Amino acid sequence: MDQAVQTPGPLAGPGVPGSGAGAAPGAPGRLSATHLLRGLRRALGVIPFGLYVAFFLLAPMVAVAIGAFQDNNGNFTLSNVHAATHGIYLHGFWQSILLSVISAVLPGILGLILAYAIVRSEGGNLLRQIAITAAGVFANFGGVPLAFIFIATIGSSGLVNQWLTSLGFDPYNHGFTLYSLLGVVIVYLYFQIPLMVLVILPALEGLRPAWREAAENLGARSWDYWRYVGGPVLLPSFLGCVLLLFGSALSAYATAEALTNGTIPLTAIQIGSFLNGNVIAGQENIGKALGLGMVVIIAVAMLLYVAMQRRAAKWLR
Amino acid sequence: MASLARGATVWRWTVIIVAAVYFLLPLWAALRFAGISAFGSVISEPGFTSSLALSVRLAVITTLITIALMLPTTVYVHLRLPKLRRLMEGITILPIVIPPVVLIVGVLAIAPGFLKGTSWLLALAYVVLAMPFTYRALDAGLRALDLKTIVEASNSLGAGWLSTLWRVLLPNLRTALLSATVLCVALVLGEFTMASLDLYQTFPVWIYVNSQTSGQVSVAASLLALFVTWIFLLGITVLGTRQSRKTGGGAVTLFTVARTDTRGD
Amino acid sequence: MTTNTARDAAAAATGQAGHGAGTSVRLQDLTRSFGATRALDGLSIDMAPGELVALLGPSGCGKTTALRIVAGFETADVGTVLVDGKDISSVPASRRDMGMVFQAYSLFPNMSALDNVAFGLRMRKIGASQRRQRAGDLLDMVGLAPQVRQYPHQLSGGQQQRVALARALAVEPRVLLLDEPLSALDAKVRLQLREQIRTLQQRLGTTTLFVTHDQEEALSMADRVGVMRQGRLEQIAEPDELYTDPATAFVAEFVGVMNRIPGELQPGGQVTALGSTVPVRGHPPDETAVDVLVRPEGLAMEVVENGNGIVTTRTFLGSVTRVSVQLSGDVAVQVDRPSAESAALAPGASVSVSLPAAQPVLVASRQVS
Repeated sequence: MDQAVQTPGPLAGPGVPGSGAGAAPGAPGRLSATHLLRGLRRALGVIPFGLYVAFFLLAPMVAVAIGAFQDNNGNFTLSNVHAATHGIYLHGFWQSILLSVISAVLPGILGLILAYAIVRSEGGNLLRQIAITAAGVFANFGGVPLAFIFIATIGSSGLVNQWLTSLGFDPYNHGFTLYSLLGVVIVYLYFQIPLMVLVILPALEGLRPAWREAAENLGARSWDYWRYVGGPVLLPSFLGCVLLLFGSALSAYATAEALTNGTIPLTAIQIGSFLNGNVIAGQENIGKALGLGMVVIIAVAMLLYVAMQRRAAKWLR
Repeated sequence: MASLARGATVWRWTVIIVAAVYFLLPLWAALRFAGISAFGSVISEPGFTSSLALSVRLAVITTLITIALMLPTTVYVHLRLPKLRRLMEGITILPIVIPPVVLIVGVLAIAPGFLKGTSWLLALAYVVLAMPFTYRALDAGLRALDLKTIVEASNSLGAGWLSTLWRVLLPNLRTALLSATVLCVALVLGEFTMASLDLYQTFPVWIYVNSQTSGQVSVAASLLALFVTWIFLLGITVLGTRQSRKTGGGAVTLFTVARTDTRGD
Repeated sequence: MTTNTARDAAAAATGQAGHGAGTSVRLQDLTRSFGATRALDGLSIDMAPGELVALLGPSGCGKTTALRIVAGFETADVGTVLVDGKDISSVPASRRDMGMVFQAYSLFPNMSALDNVAFGLRMRKIGASQRRQRAGDLLDMVGLAPQVRQYPHQLSGGQQQRVALARALAVEPRVLLLDEPLSALDAKVRLQLREQIRTLQQRLGTTTLFVTHDQEEALSMADRVGVMRQGRLEQIAEPDELYTDPATAFVAEFVGVMNRIPGELQPGGQVTALGSTVPVRGHPPDETAVDVLVRPEGLAMEVVENGNGIVTTRTFLGSVTRVSVQLSGDVAVQVDRPSAESAALAPGASVSVSLPAAQPVLVASRQVS
């Protein structure tokens, strides 16, 4: 990943509970003064954390949310939102969503196939350990270093390109370029596939052999098993992970920036350009509107993700 | 039926080999592209030392703040406010939902004057990014202990709060703390988005900026950065396995009672 | 298929096996190795139609491997399985028409109890309403009618196994296979389910192979019990014969409680122990220093002054009292006496324990403790 080194294991396994909607701790119905006081005293321990979150997470977010609806004089306006949902910014959103969907579904499927091959092969525990470690490492390769490594591989003077050219076929003459949406997808695969493998591996292993055998015993062939048991049980985990990949691709900034230098309209890059000062003065708040939009999209995706994981955890116990 | 099994095996290994090639080829290509000499000149490039030093400094500060904030909080929540755990997990997912590119916009908007323009602001923002993984690592470590029982046992044997934290909890959380530390460090060393937009030349930013002048050096530096991350993560895996094997087998005397059934959740 | 419901109802009413002729199963010389270990070593069993045969033995004895070979999940290296005289070794598991109940957690988690039970019928292309009807009847038969819409994670262990049983029976299998179905349940549920399985099996007359390591389970449920050890069948017989007439020392000690008393083999098929000489049953080992195997109720005991043993504990078991006696020479035995006659057998009492005259005893190689 580019903006954050993510170890997907702890976060993205089945059974990630907890929704963002914070419910108050279920205190018993009595609201006597002593109870309140006791509750407050207990809460003391988390005050430092709470304050930190308030200052450095919630406050910035609120600032962005409010700023999205302000003009340069601080008055309420919808013009930012309007600009953010039209023209090049709308184009940016569509591009970003398209990119993220492809960068989620494709590695989702490929990752599932790879994970299945790992689970079913007889390398046993050793292969599995190697695979998990490798996946954990590659899932963290991202950002600027990854972009450059791919430039060295399939960039216009990259190794593979030189080799193909020497064989008589130069992809760059036929319209291919790394510095395009396609190129970004190819690079994203590099950390999205391992992320998928890491999440779906436990789910695959959660498919008990007894289910497969019971199904066979009752007359099911391979296809029947996958259609009625294996597939449905795996689906929530799969969908959940695809959603996670979607969110990660949408927020990605560094890799895309390093590859495209801002030539392709992507929302993340566009937001960045507002900070870089590459925009007409007096329009900074459009960036905030864009940011708000992005957060809304990702929040929806993450809520769905959590719902999927809860489902999966229930079945794969 | 045997031929069916053999066909499946061939297919499986094909998939694994193709995957291996896809993941290893770029690394090799980058190595060839950069050339051995580039690795040597990386260090002598202008800006290398200063950007690396900045990144390391930020990493240390961020890690210290994160651990100082998250460890007591996580322990406290586990012990005293178990109902808040859900909320905690929710809060720590938020930084995932809020992309760093948006976060930095917000942070710069609300930052008080005395912080703006110092690298401290960046470090404080990094703590937010590091929160989810740190919390998860500590949470997993705490769940593997039977926290309540250990603390009660320690208290019943006469240890006060500080003693308990220092002598009982910390040693048992060594792996989790190590995990959290490494994740923090790796995160900060690799973070580009917020640093570049806050106009600080950390190591990744330097690699990007420097690529304009020397592509090969940038590629070499990239390989180095990836390699270091890889070593880190491998390190935790190895150390973590060894640690858990050690404590799983021969438990420390005080905690044999509490540890007979360490099956986590 | 609807006629089966009527048939079952009629069978239930008359208490007879309602399934027609029943199926015979023959395991012939089954041999299977996993690497260097011989899991099965020439196992042969003949199962009569409608019979419940239990395979009993310690873990690793091969009983589960044998079951899985019959089910089709493993293949034997040597040997065949014949069902109604036909060799099914090459028939894939999905077409063997057998019902299997696994040890635990075999219900499909994404389906309700009803859909689980109906699954086998769906595989046989039976229509939806008929499926549901039959599945509902079966769940009713195992006493889970109110739970039809519930999902496995909402059911207790015992309920899950009952659903698994109903699911296996839904397809009216020729053979029922049970792989330690009660091991994962707690004691009380286990007892209830034991009865239920046996009653159901007898009512339907399904030939059944039941694998377990719990001897009480095997003895109470089966028509015949096969005791296995290291891939081989030590003895297969009706439960009471297994108890009173064990063929080998292993069977004798595995089934019920057995005492081991050091003795000396004498020429002419006799053995001397505890001061008396009695005939030997079966084939004794080659050494002269042996252990005599005797049940607690098979020992004679009298309260005397300066006897050969001291009572250490006395345990009241209802109609029988079990007394632990420490004999000279560091040997401990357990002796059963009717409780009415056990008043004088308090701990510390001096007793004389001996082998009843002329009763043949089993003899085994001396075990070094």
